[in-house]
Amino acid sequence: MTLGPCPHEKEIAALLAGGQWPQAAPADLRAHAATCRSCAELALVTTAFRSARTTAAAAAPLVSPGILWWRAQLRRRNAAIERVTRPILGAQIFALLICFVVAVGFSVSHAAQGIGWISDLTQLIRLPSIDMAKLWPSSTQGSALWVLVPLAAMLALLGGVAVYLASSEER
Amino acid sequence: MSLPMPLESILPSLFAGEAFRAAAIPAELPPETLMGNEAFAGFYSRSARPLWAYLARVSADPTLADDLMQESFVRFLCAARPDDGEVAARRYLFRIATNLLRDHWRRPRQASIEEIPEEFFATVSTAAQSDSRIVLGPALARLTLRDRQLLWLAYAEGYSHHEIAEVTGLASASIRLLLFRARRRIAVLLRDQDTQGGNRQ
Repeated sequence: MTLGPCPHEKEIAALLAGGQWPQAAPADLRAHAATCRSCAELALVTTAFRSARTTAAAAAPLVSPGILWWRAQLRRRNAAIERVTRPILGAQIFALLICFVVAVGFSVSHAAQGIGWISDLTQLIRLPSIDMAKLWPSSTQGSALWVLVPLAAMLALLGGVAVYLASSEER
Repeated sequence: MSLPMPLESILPSLFAGEAFRAAAIPAELPPETLMGNEAFAGFYSRSARPLWAYLARVSADPTLADDLMQESFVRFLCAARPDDGEVAARRYLFRIATNLLRDHWRRPRQASIEEIPEEFFATVSTAAQSDSRIVLGPALARLTLRDRQLLWLAYAEGYSHHEIAEVTGLASASIRLLLFRARRRIAVLLRDQDTQGGNRQ
């Protein structure tokens, strides 16, 4: 199989593109196309496709361009909203994770003390007077941590809200 | 013609895949890349018919062509495209449509015939349309989707090999060979059809 194009193909293609084939074609070119397989195929295929294009284009049912334009605006707006709500979702997930870690940490560290606290409570019932100091956990070590971690979670959440509001104003 | 229901509900499977990636909505669109309503109306009036003809003939499904044409224009408007003039813009539009068509053919069929509104079946067919469909339709139906795309872009739209490569995403060097083979195949089919038609008469 050879892929070398016939030297007359360009000439015939130009005539086909201008809708001048075969009427305006020189006689020798028409005679050549009748014997050259490549040129005959080009003429046959191009004529069939051009004709199909003309009839199909005439049958095209078109919607109003305004509808498509507004649909595009709407889609772009929705994409922008999705983009600005992404940081707040991240902040919410982060805050939730921190709260979960704090809850787990608190439960683990106070599990032992909790048992002691229950026994203290039973003793308290037996006591004639209530000592408020006994109700408070005996150990207050790391109390700063229990304040700082929820504070960080709160800041992350507020940061997300701030980013969201800033992005909304930009739009 | 207006769609009685949102396009997203008719063809949900289209809103993902290669075409979506090709024309994904970018994070920030510079204002100069956005086309105004009036500019778009002009561009649409010049490009919609050739695009519909391409989609309808390559897919052999006018209803699908309607949907894909609308979706192509919407994505075209949402995308940040290079401002290289109308010819480049039209090429970009054809590229989006080609990818949408490819995505559609790659996915399993999901739409039920009951979901398609009745008015879509009431298509007007003139004698000229019927003749054209009879001549090219059966021959095109026997070719692969890629061959149909290549042939249409080359011989109906008159695109060069380089432009076809840009639209289809194929390597520019392979277009020549693929097109040569596709042309030979359809020429044989068209001649056979012609011979059979002549014998019947």
